[in-house]
Amino acid sequence: MSVTEQPLTQNKQTLENSSRRSFLKKMGIVGGGLVVGIPLTGCASVKFPNAMDGDLQPNALLQITANNDIYFYLPRSEMGQGVYTGLTTMLAEELDVHPGKIQVKNVGAHEEYANPEYGLQLTGGSNSIRVHFIPLRQMAANVRMVIRQAAAQVLQLPLDQIQTDNGMIVANGKKLPYGDFTKVAAHLSLPEETPLRKKADFKYIGKHSKRLDAVAKSTGSAEFGLDVEFAGLHRAALKRCPVSGGTVKSFDDSKVKSLPGVKAVVSIFNGVAVVADHYYQAKATLPVLDVQWELPETLSDFSSDSTEAGNGKQLFKAALDSDESDNAHKEGNGREALKTSDTVVSGEYWAPYLAHATMEPMNCTAKFTGNKLEIWTGCQNPGVAAKLAAFYGDVAKDDVTVHSTFLGGGFGRRISSDYVAEAVSIAKASGFPVQLIWSREDDTKRDYYRPASMAEFQVGLDKDGNIDSWNVKRSGPNILPYTIDEVTDAMMPGFLPDGMVDWISKAGYGLFDGWTVDPTSVEGLFEDYDANHKSVDHVTVDPGLPVGFWRSVGHSFSGFFKESMMDEVAISQQQDPVTYRLKHLKSNPRLANTLKLAAEKAGWGKPLPEGHYHGVAVHASFLSYVTQIAEVSVNNGQIKVHKVTCVLDCGLAVNPEIVIQQMESGILFGLTAALYGEITVKDGAVVQSNFHDYPILRMNESPDIEVIIVESDEAPTGVGEPGLPPIAGAVGNAIFAATGKRLRSLPFKLS
Amino acid sequence: MISFKLNGQTVNVEAPGDTPLLWVVREHLTMKGTKFGCGMGLCGACSMLIDGVSTRTCIMPVQAVANRHITTIEGLGNPQMMSTLQNAWVEADVPQCGYCQSGQIISATALLSQNNNPSDSDIDIAMSGNICRCGTYPNVKKAIKNAAADLRNGKGRLQAVQVFDPTATASPETQEVQS
Ligand code: FES
Ligand code: FES
Repeated sequence: MSVTEQPLTQNKQTLENSSRRSFLKKMGIVGGGLVVGIPLTGCASVKFPNAMDGDLQPNALLQITANNDIYFYLPRSEMGQGVYTGLTTMLAEELDVHPGKIQVKNVGAHEEYANPEYGLQLTGGSNSIRVHFIPLRQMAANVRMVIRQAAAQVLQLPLDQIQTDNGMIVANGKKLPYGDFTKVAAHLSLPEETPLRKKADFKYIGKHSKRLDAVAKSTGSAEFGLDVEFAGLHRAALKRCPVSGGTVKSFDDSKVKSLPGVKAVVSIFNGVAVVADHYYQAKATLPVLDVQWELPETLSDFSSDSTEAGNGKQLFKAALDSDESDNAHKEGNGREALKTSDTVVSGEYWAPYLAHATMEPMNCTAKFTGNKLEIWTGCQNPGVAAKLAAFYGDVAKDDVTVHSTFLGGGFGRRISSDYVAEAVSIAKASGFPVQLIWSREDDTKRDYYRPASMAEFQVGLDKDGNIDSWNVKRSGPNILPYTIDEVTDAMMPGFLPDGMVDWISKAGYGLFDGWTVDPTSVEGLFEDYDANHKSVDHVTVDPGLPVGFWRSVGHSFSGFFKESMMDEVAISQQQDPVTYRLKHLKSNPRLANTLKLAAEKAGWGKPLPEGHYHGVAVHASFLSYVTQIAEVSVNNGQIKVHKVTCVLDCGLAVNPEIVIQQMESGILFGLTAALYGEITVKDGAVVQSNFHDYPILRMNESPDIEVIIVESDEAPTGVGEPGLPPIAGAVGNAIFAATGKRLRSLPFKLS
Repeated sequence: MISFKLNGQTVNVEAPGDTPLLWVVREHLTMKGTKFGCGMGLCGACSMLIDGVSTRTCIMPVQAVANRHITTIEGLGNPQMMSTLQNAWVEADVPQCGYCQSGQIISATALLSQNNNPSDSDIDIAMSGNICRCGTYPNVKKAIKNAAADLRNGKGRLQAVQVFDPTATASPETQEVQS
């Protein structure tokens, strides 16, 4: 069984995903190649901490002990999105055990925990439920079957008289725990194609929503990276160059060394670290630690508010206006078709850099024991973290042990492992086991930001006012070079000759510029609506501020751009935004359906309270389909979002309540970006520092949210990210309805 | 040495008087339920009850709490015995990443100790100091209302753990604050 056998609708986006994979493969950064599925047979090479005699341990994910304790080793990282409960629910269904009976364990780094779609142990791209939906259930069904077979053997009964119920074998009117048969089952060969339960027979999938980590997280007993503690652990704070990419020229620690608690001051690849008994001691020394910096070449000259040519927004604008672009996508005659259009509607849009601002600041704990290195961290990419740790700790990969914790938010930030490299370097240089704690200021100023983006649309209409050609060009940085830069040192040496490593790391950026376009730079700009002709072009321009995966990635800006533009087009033709959208969603029936339902639920076109206006946006991402309708009022330039109606089609919802929460979460995350989010740069340094100048939406500013999930028999698709992309467009369109002002830049400012 | 009551127990700590209470509790006393989020009193992740008031402890010097009563999330309940609010939190599946939740529950406890029938705007006012990046606000609100209903019906308690305090009858010690 492999993931390719999943009954997934082949649509534009699956194609897009597979082209992303082939692109990554072409770049040679997918580790040992694409790993499909999880090994289902044979003994796992992972050593379980609580292994005991008589265990059934069919693979790296599952262990059933003779005491009938059932352990699930969670292959994806829990960061709030709910995999801890979701994957366990799927396992429980086919194992026939109540999910609450399964003990879930966070895992370290091991290739057997690779994400089936990426070949890396990566949690991201809203794919956890989707890619594990078949393999995980198949594995559990096979295990349940082998336990039944063992029971049949032991009890000397035919297999069809051996049933199961909630972790028990039921035979001859008696109930015996699975654990009674694990010893025998362990010696049988695991069946491979056990039939899976039909939807009508599901006990937990689609029904169970109780978060299995809720008790720990409501009593302060869930362990996050920052909570790691052991005897002899020291704390570190790191002073970095104000400009990302800067390195230490020289430093003077004479004023620091004698301060209370200070144990060591060490210089590492990107700064100077102070190791102390306590964090507040280490942190207090940084203002008096004198460091001279070697500034990086490009970024130091960049200022967001500069009006000079080649700086600030002008840089993006000049790129957009230049003739040099790469074509990312073409249908029909592409841009040529504009020549025969009756009308052309254009619009230019902007979205700024954004920080992730996870509630738990970045942190990592590192400890050397001889040549062995242990790290403790909550991250989205433990495999790469382990390899980076080996590289910076100068130990063999097999000598690194990763202890994973819960993540205090991820949103793509914890795909990067820069804090792991730092913590390991500090532990190595100082000789102390250290926990490196980032302050909120560090976290805000040293992110892999959502890339700032500018886009221009030219939409050609026919004589009836319908869309004939959809043309869009985006300028901005690409994420991939930064990803490659980070993983290159850690992953490449395994299979690339020396020298190549350095070359790709430094030249990687230019390498695919002009070859093909990073899909995350243009995704979501063009796919949803019907048009006879389409063209998507891209111009890479990069001031040098590191960029990365930010919840919903390219869709985070493209959803706003595309949906505002679509509104402009509809309104230019004096057509109702819902009706006009539906006209152009003929080949996208699932998205059209969410729109119809949302319009009905929200009462689109019906009277609203005095001064309230509706705005609508639709967007498909991560194989899911979402419509949001925002009810907004504007008073004295103050934008208030009263209510959001959200309809989602994500195929089968495994844990419906968690799906609803993920929509709420995506909407509120996207509202923060729409109303407040902006990272700016002054002479290469990020200006914002903490929640006073990088505000996050608070409870009193949050709208009522109603979420409706479309009933579906399709395989499950993404929910962690798809709730975000439509919200800014929906609010912007409502602001237009309220004020007649079209706001084409984020965050929204009415002045 | 500074002395205060932490979850009913008297504790004595050796720390400079200006050390934020948060770090004294997390690092000196190794109680990790209370979180660090911003260090500037802006997010509420570090909230503890000081004499019943939800307080940002990342900016509260430990010397200012000498002899006062501090309650952390661990002092409200534990996985075996949860407070009414903690139960309501679990029932409403409030936590997502979970990192802000100790602070949310502390602020909600302070609210319900004053008002067992809060309106939406009472809740907004009491809770707007606690940021949740995961956007759990709708369920936080739901859980607070459910817990308030339980309290009004006499079915709940804001603190579930009975704390045995061996020093309760001893005479108060005198402290000198180091700086
Ligand atoms: S950590 Fe104290 S308010 Fe944020
Ligand atoms: S649950 Fe993640 S920050 Fe609140």
